[in-house]
Amino acid sequence: MSGQPDLGRADLLSMLAELTAKPAAEVSDRIGSMELAWLVHLVEQRYERRLDLADDELVGIRTVDDALAVFRASLTAPTDG
Amino acid sequence: MDEVLFAGRPTDVCLRLPEPIDRATLHRLVTAAQDRLTAAGLRPGGAAALRLPPSLAYVVNLLATWRAGGQAILLDHRLTDHEVDRALLRLTPQVVIAPLRTGGGALKIFVDVTEGVTRYADRPAVSGHAVIQLSSGSTGPSKVIGRTAADLVAEVHRYTRIDGVALPGERIILLPSMVHVLGLVGGLLYGLHAGVELVPPQRLSGDAVLAAISAGTTPATVLGVPFHIGLLASTRPAGTLPQLRRMTTGGELVPAAAARAFTDRYGVPLGNMYGMTEVGVIGTDLHGAHRPSIAPAPGIEVRERGGELWVSCPASPYVGLSDPTRWADGWLHTRDAGTVDEDTGLVTVRGRLDSQVSVGGMKVDLTEVEATVTELTGVAAAVVVWDDGITAYVQPDGPLSEETLDKLLAERLAGYKRPRTLHLLDQLPRTTTGKLVRSTDALRSAVSP
Repeated sequence: MSGQPDLGRADLLSMLAELTAKPAAEVSDRIGSMELAWLVHLVEQRYERRLDLADDELVGIRTVDDALAVFRASLTAPTDG
Repeated sequence: MDEVLFAGRPTDVCLRLPEPIDRATLHRLVTAAQDRLTAAGLRPGGAAALRLPPSLAYVVNLLATWRAGGQAILLDHRLTDHEVDRALLRLTPQVVIAPLRTGGGALKIFVDVTEGVTRYADRPAVSGHAVIQLSSGSTGPSKVIGRTAADLVAEVHRYTRIDGVALPGERIILLPSMVHVLGLVGGLLYGLHAGVELVPPQRLSGDAVLAAISAGTTPATVLGVPFHIGLLASTRPAGTLPQLRRMTTGGELVPAAAARAFTDRYGVPLGNMYGMTEVGVIGTDLHGAHRPSIAPAPGIEVRERGGELWVSCPASPYVGLSDPTRWADGWLHTRDAGTVDEDTGLVTVRGRLDSQVSVGGMKVDLTEVEATVTELTGVAAAVVVWDDGITAYVQPDGPLSEETLDKLLAERLAGYKRPRTLHLLDQLPRTTTGKLVRSTDALRSAVSP
């Protein structure tokens, strides 16, 4: 993953903490479309690549764990070119 | 309508999606849609409900509704069937316009939509307004908000007199939904009127916003809500952005640290707007010179009464029952706490005086969320509060899992209104007289005593 350590649950929680200005320990596990957009954006910034996410994958994301599974799958998929 | 929105040169580009849509093309699309709406049963004085995500189809059908002499009922596409059905029953549109197919997904700002038009009722519109918008919840007094054509035109003209808005020939990088007042009037209608190109980024990310800015040579203003400031402040630009003139946000107060992070990175002004669905733009600080205060927009008067901001508004904007504590004698009572400086006239908004909160720029009334939770089968009582996010404390009257509760709410409340945190408690804290306790501290203690 382009020299970056593997993405973990704690990474996503700290990204959400940045959005909500809460301690990571108090971040809710449930995420909506705004939190999801924020996570995709920050993960893309961190790995300097665009995540190729299908609509049905995004629609099924309801929790931090759902998001983590989808992001990990996308990050380990081979990139074009 | 044509003279206000279609008066410019036919070859001028109105929308870039990213394929350019010029004024002549838009006009042709609107005329064709008008024929379809009329064929489906829309008559002058009737209403069309638009249940469309931000899309060319939304723009075209909105303008076609007005051209057909109809009232446009704007329903956020994220509302559930339950919420939409209640609104339609009350507002009796003649036709409903909804997607048959939607292309592009969850992270898109503008989507490809093939729309379908269905006949709904054969009644005239409930009021003479040109547009109807719902504040959070569609029942109860002062929940259905109407704006007349004259009022919308006046707001568009107000924008033309505000120093710091995008000028003719420039571009607006459009992030807010055009179903709501900032994107609708400050983006779409002002842009069409003034000859400003509207450019929705390809997706909701910082990189996509920067790509939209870089894709043209003309000056660009980014219009958004505070969430979008965070997106841009956390994006590393690949190069310089000489086209970027400023970013302007509305919807809620911007923390000083977020404003600083943005201006440090981009070196352009971060403007601030204050407005309401009922009246549109109330005041602005587009140069970021008075943060957090704003100067009233031309023609708007703001006064403070008993700690609440009142805004001049000649006629009640509410359809049906109007609560006299929300509008009376030409003044809209904003329910925003604030002050007006006697010397400078600058207005400072301090926060809400009621149970309304802002989620990513969207207004949500916590009483609506609480009523929805309380009405669910299996719930004995519920308290919904804002605790850095919508938080529900629920006392079930039988077996009820958090998962079931979440699923039931997903059928009844749009995603942005749903509680992010659910707490199930055997007993909700109550006062000695049996009233539910609403203090966040007491509720938190009840979860982890």
